[in-house]
Amino acid sequence: MIASIDFTNFKILRSARIELGPFNLIIGPNGSGKTSVLLALQRLRQFAARPPVYGKPPANRRGECGALHFRFAAPFADIEACLECEPDGSGRALYVEGTGELPPRWAKLVARLTTLRVVALDQAALARPSPAGAPILLGDDGTNLPAALHRLQREEPETHMRIESEFRRILPEYRSVGVEVSSDGTRKLVAEIEGESRRLGADELSQGTLVLLGLLVLTQVRPLPAILCLEEIDRGIHPRLLREIRDLLYRMSYPEDGAEPAQILTTTHSPYLLDLFREQLEEVIIAQKRGSEATFERLSDRADLREAIGNASLGDLWYSGILGGVPGEF
Amino acid sequence: MKVALLSESPADEAALRLIAEGVLGQPVEAVQPPLRARGWPSVAQVLPVILRHLHFRTDCDGLIVTADADDTVVHTEMHERPGYFHPGCRLCELRAIVRQTLKHLPPAQGRVRLNTAVGMAVPAVEAWYLCGRDESVTEAAWIAGRENGAPPYTRRDLKQRVYGTIHPSLPFEVQRAEEAMLRHRGDFRRMEFDFPGGFGALVADLKRWRLAPTG
Repeated sequence: MIASIDFTNFKILRSARIELGPFNLIIGPNGSGKTSVLLALQRLRQFAARPPVYGKPPANRRGECGALHFRFAAPFADIEACLECEPDGSGRALYVEGTGELPPRWAKLVARLTTLRVVALDQAALARPSPAGAPILLGDDGTNLPAALHRLQREEPETHMRIESEFRRILPEYRSVGVEVSSDGTRKLVAEIEGESRRLGADELSQGTLVLLGLLVLTQVRPLPAILCLEEIDRGIHPRLLREIRDLLYRMSYPEDGAEPAQILTTTHSPYLLDLFREQLEEVIIAQKRGSEATFERLSDRADLREAIGNASLGDLWYSGILGGVPGEF
Repeated sequence: MKVALLSESPADEAALRLIAEGVLGQPVEAVQPPLRARGWPSVAQVLPVILRHLHFRTDCDGLIVTADADDTVVHTEMHERPGYFHPGCRLCELRAIVRQTLKHLPPAQGRVRLNTAVGMAVPAVEAWYLCGRDESVTEAAWIAGRENGAPPYTRRDLKQRVYGTIHPSLPFEVQRAEEAMLRHRGDFRRMEFDFPGGFGALVADLKRWRLAPTG
């Protein structure tokens, strides 16, 4: 979907480029620009919904403003979008260039871009009950999870069944998970533990359990967003369950049911999650921080790395520092 | 002199830098970013990759690697015999990895081979920090105690003795590591005497650097 982004004076990214594939795991120290990448995509979605300026952007006014330059994958490889930004990183105007009948093709691209989601699932938001009339789509922080599940239960029972059975497969201690509707229309998450008769409320479920449920909803609902950005996907998840999380994301990036795939961008600080990408170095991007500047490098671009890894785990190599992407020390 | 220091924490690294400067007799610039291992067996797993990385991709003069022996076999004079390898000794294992990795590497970055020095703290690096302050802490005492089934101290005891707590902050660990090494004023003969296997081997390796410079 998005092939690359060039950053000029955007947040910490003074002059940097990131090349993106179907699946992208971004690692690096705090403050190295990982979140800025996700923010750039959020800005693109925001401005894609407005009428663009067709043509080249004006020459940068002596570096007083920043710019985000987006290139796209086929069939939109000839289209380039440049978002001029204010010094604080907010957008100013979107310029679009390309060949052929640009406005209708841009409109097609916009239809995909406006489905882009930047999600940071939050335990409190996920656990919150959905009042009557609440939106039926899962919010970017996980709000409306009960409403989203309830809609699936009523309107897409097969999807709901898939979510529940996946949930029980990954966390076999649960017998069921569902939604309880009270007399005023408020919907609440409820779960049952194997061998116990008592029902658990959402506030009794762990952060990892809620995040998993939120991810399952994101994964199973169709159509998938064209681009899904997820911050700190390992948060609250036991290291042994990280493989399941990776697989859930892979199923969005490489769907098995013929659905239009989602391009995935996710960030992590977990060496255990990184270990799972030993055979997929092309999916890992290291954000490097040098002074106040940051750059991005795809692990597969390190020519000797694939052979050099030997018996070492990728997480250990990252931790060792030879891959870069580690914090400075006093 | 540009040296890569592979250790488990910034405190170990601070101590290693002072040891290297004392033995080599010149300032040591540590390779950046700092190299770290997540304890054993991570050290052994990442060492071959780190050696190749340093050899081919950096201009550093050498690598110093240390680890904690924990409860494993202590490296002794017997292990120094030509061709000897004790499968339970971590220092023997690290040396074997270094040997195996470097012997196949062609010259690079203007040097024939990377200098290396391997050390092993018995049972943990805090034992080294107590040298000259607590005479009961030596490799000989550790070996004798273990043979009698009553180790003279635990790693937890050593932490308590060095830091006054088993929960020291990282800056305090660094401070204690530097204080301990500076106390020797560059003369580490007492440490070599008290810790001949793990520390003596490290110093012997470093002294060979001085005698056989790279190039």
